[in-house]
Amino acid sequence: MSLRFEHVGKRYPDGTIALGDVSFEVPPGQFCVILGRSGAGKSTLLRCVNGLASPSSGRVVVDGVEVTPATLRQLRPRIGMIHQSFNLVPRASVAANVIAGALPAVSTGRALLGLFPRALRDKACALIADVGLGQEHLPRRVAALSGGQQQRVGIARAFMLDPAYVLADEPVASLDPQTSADILTLIRREAKERGAAVLCSLHQIDLTMRFADRVLALRDGRIVFDGAPDALAQSRLGRIYDASWPEPCPLPEAVGA
Amino acid sequence: MSGIANRTVGGPSGEWRFPTAFGWRGVLVAIVAFLILFRTGADVEIGRALLQSGKGIAAGAGLAEDSQVARGFGAILGRMFPPQLAEVTETGRIAGFDRDRLPWFAHVEMQTVTVQSLDPETMRMVASTTQREVLVEPFGYLRQVVAKLVETLEIALWGTLLAVLIGAPLAFFGARNLSPHPLLVALSRGMVSLLRAIPELISALFFVLAYGFGPAAGVLALALHAAGFLGKFYAEDIENADPGPQEALRAIGANRLKLLRYAILPQVLPQYVAYTLYILDRNVRMATVIGLVGAGGIGLELKGRYDLYQYAHVGTILIAIFILVFALDQLSSWFRRRLI
Repeated sequence: MSLRFEHVGKRYPDGTIALGDVSFEVPPGQFCVILGRSGAGKSTLLRCVNGLASPSSGRVVVDGVEVTPATLRQLRPRIGMIHQSFNLVPRASVAANVIAGALPAVSTGRALLGLFPRALRDKACALIADVGLGQEHLPRRVAALSGGQQQRVGIARAFMLDPAYVLADEPVASLDPQTSADILTLIRREAKERGAAVLCSLHQIDLTMRFADRVLALRDGRIVFDGAPDALAQSRLGRIYDASWPEPCPLPEAVGA
Repeated sequence: MSGIANRTVGGPSGEWRFPTAFGWRGVLVAIVAFLILFRTGADVEIGRALLQSGKGIAAGAGLAEDSQVARGFGAILGRMFPPQLAEVTETGRIAGFDRDRLPWFAHVEMQTVTVQSLDPETMRMVASTTQREVLVEPFGYLRQVVAKLVETLEIALWGTLLAVLIGAPLAFFGARNLSPHPLLVALSRGMVSLLRAIPELISALFFVLAYGFGPAAGVLALALHAAGFLGKFYAEDIENADPGPQEALRAIGANRLKLLRYAILPQVLPQYVAYTLYILDRNVRMATVIGLVGAGGIGLELKGRYDLYQYAHVGTILIAIFILVFALDQLSSWFRRRLI
């Protein structure tokens, strides 16, 4: 049971290489931060896990099943996702946005009529309470919430189906430092409670040091660091962030998870 | 070198030129537009329309002596006013007329009627006066008009309902981001264009031939044209909806219908309500028109009275339609304000 990238490469039709030969494995329950500058390939890497992007070469294997168009139906409900711009429906209520996270678990007919089973409705309430929102928020439109509250709704939605893996694509990019720390604490706590592994892309080094079990650093689509946050020395940071470094060093073999 | 002269030299190296508001292309477009307007204006007699309108207004203001337009409008309005409210029926023509049970507010009175007839002996027209008994219902005709108006409203309502039912699936298959197959997109879009290309009045003519006189033909004619309109606009809103929520739900494996219901519909609902209310509004107006070709509603009554030169009746009908459309307008804008 793990999430594995095997020599994954991604080249977009316009010729940009987003990922070049990326291999790693994430064991269950690990909070793994993907660190890198804008355009380093963090989003593409995450999107290859649930098929929002498909690798041009190599393969992604989730719990022993390769991610292909044919297996997406089976895999996607087990992979939650938290988005940079929240991707909630602003006009819909908090309750409606959260329960939408359980859509794969109900039949299309029931979904169209909005008839969710009692168990799912209770679960949505419990999750909304877990992420720190109150009962009074249930009928409120998401548009009326602050950014931090909106991301809390996004987190509740992502955990509706008790996913084994959670992808968080820059979940705190548009939030202030304090709120960012709160949100990451929340994601980490919810994931640890369920034993879910998290792949979280970030560009903030301080937050990475605080929350990561393991850091995967990307530069120009290649992994330049893979290890515990403590091992993320200053020189390596230069390799990730300093454009004047001639060429990102290949990953030293000694460094591993 | 004055300071002002220095400042007019633009840009870092003095070579920049700020874009002008319009250039030679703008002038060219204006010339072409003018030529087109000149030519088409002559074709549609826009000069005559303006001239006669001006004369009519002048006559109305007492500045000019005579105007064809003012005379025409005056004659029609004069005959429309006062509007016909009462209904007068000869009692002998009412089947099973019961003197003791008159309709509400109605009374029986004797009328003196002068009839011109040809004397067979002298071969001359002779005027003879006869007395006849008539039933007078003071608001009898108004009641008839209201009944027809209600029928018109019902036609419009069902035309709108069917249009939504036909237009929604066409929009689903016609929206590029939801449709299961590009072929279905082309097919639905073609269908939608076709439906919109046929005006209600024309399709009503054919539906009357196929389904006979009556509201059924009207409902179908209205529904098909409006379905074309709704299919196009619903689909455009689906395509323009924020892709974020759709991606979020696709990422966890929700199918197209669930996407539509939970990611798109909540976003576009206010627009959809606005379109549908507009269609209802339009259908009420069109339902009065398609009655002219026999597809039920107030239009049939309007055309009948117009052809009989009963302009007072026409006046009543027109005022009734105006009140209906105005009331509906108020109602729909109130509804829209509440929803958004």
